[in-house]
Amino acid sequence: MNFYRSVWTVWLRHYSVFRKNIVYGMVTTFVEPILYLGSFGFGLGAVIGNIEAGGEQVSYRAFVLAGLIGQTLLFTSFFDGAYGGFIRMYYQKIFQAISVTPVTLSEVLWGELLWCSSRGLLSASVILLIGGVLGDFSWWGCVVALPVIFLASVLFASVGMLVAAGSRTIESISYPQYLVIFPMFLFCGVYFPLSQLPEWGQAIAAVLPLTALLSVVRTLLLGFQFEWWALPLLVAWTIPFIPLARNAMRRRVVA
Amino acid sequence: MESSLSVRNLRKVYRSKRHEPLVAVDGVSFDVSAGECFGLLGPNGAGKSTTMKCVTGFFEPTEGLVEIEGIDVQREPKRARQHLGVCSQDDSLDTDFTVFDQMVQFASFFGIGRREAESRSRELLERFQLSSKAGELVEALSGGMRRRLQVARALVNRPRVLVLDEPTTGLDPEARRTLWEILAEQRRSGLAILLSTHYMEEAERLCDRVAIIHRGRIIDCDTPEKLIAREIGRGPVDEEIRPGVKIHRPPNLEDVYLKLTGARLE
Repeated sequence: MNFYRSVWTVWLRHYSVFRKNIVYGMVTTFVEPILYLGSFGFGLGAVIGNIEAGGEQVSYRAFVLAGLIGQTLLFTSFFDGAYGGFIRMYYQKIFQAISVTPVTLSEVLWGELLWCSSRGLLSASVILLIGGVLGDFSWWGCVVALPVIFLASVLFASVGMLVAAGSRTIESISYPQYLVIFPMFLFCGVYFPLSQLPEWGQAIAAVLPLTALLSVVRTLLLGFQFEWWALPLLVAWTIPFIPLARNAMRRRVVA
Repeated sequence: MESSLSVRNLRKVYRSKRHEPLVAVDGVSFDVSAGECFGLLGPNGAGKSTTMKCVTGFFEPTEGLVEIEGIDVQREPKRARQHLGVCSQDDSLDTDFTVFDQMVQFASFFGIGRREAESRSRELLERFQLSSKAGELVEALSGGMRRRLQVARALVNRPRVLVLDEPTTGLDPEARRTLWEILAEQRRSGLAILLSTHYMEEAERLCDRVAIIHRGRIIDCDTPEKLIAREIGRGPVDEEIRPGVKIHRPPNLEDVYLKLTGARLE
């Protein structure tokens, strides 16, 4: 079993579980963003109409729909990395059981990261599809956005795994969830342009990875002004978090 | 005869920033041949589980060498583990799958194709009397069944070496005896078994040789009979089992352990 096949085998294990619980998987993956779209996109969007953001006049629905991509993949990747990872590592001891087979612990953790990222990509793809069908997104933009969305999924899954590795109990995952993930979701421009925040708020939001992701995504999907710093910032966040998460999880599993 | 499992000068030191270094395993060496059951006997914290985890490659030893079928576990973990089956102390069954599916799933980690994995799983579940539970989730199994399933799963790759870390802890006497019979059968079929336990009767019933491990060191190693004869003698031993109630009983491994260490097994 070479490295790639081992990682793939771990990914397939997680996929098998997802497929067995497909109704649960579909509900948790798709229903939430669709509800948000209905409420904010169609409901609030009808009240607000068009807004000016990113140097463009766009419908609020299209603006929110692009924002929901970030929200969905943030929540899906983070939650699967944090809660799913904690359950698999701590309660089910799956990492320990697999890592005494020819699949090494390092490969188990790559498989885990890849799976959590894949779930983020899958859920974000649904929003892309809806946006494309509604005519709010350009199809070519949807295709080009996929690798960027995957990159962000890897980042948020890594953050989730790092949190899982550092949490003594499953309840303590709530701290980073409420103190980091939720504020990021609320203040990085999912529902409103960042220009609405006070300057200090804009300064903080500007360095956060969700802001960078939304900037790239809205440029590709809605034709917003290109912001050169966004993609490098996203990459800069992602690169250190992968080894951080893997090393922390390795230490926790082997402890 | 070449050993299926060879452990040489194994040493494991746990280091942490807050505490002094802890020597969990200190220069342990032993060999286990095909068809032999070798027991590590000692109380909790003696270094049994750490030794087991170094043998499986889960822990990296501080010093020493572990070879499975002549393959260095640290240098070539993937090759070495193709010949290894592990039943850990913790219940690590995959609760997301049914009994049968998790056998097949686990086989995939050894690169075994689906058809072959299904065939082996059916055969093992039959042999371990779990066929009737094949479609059930793990939660539906009793403690004894779960343990049997863990051993069955550890055999899905047809290993040459089976590592069992306290396999019968928490089992009732009947489940324990069933598992002993299964392990004796596996040993007869040529499997090398490394077993850790703190049950005297288990070590005497299953093990061809026993190493008494104390504070990370093997303090004596031989067949249970020779250890008892050498350290205690063949005559009966007096023991006060309750205040004022004394019995004569045959000597056992616990007597050996008490004599060698001055400590009492749990």
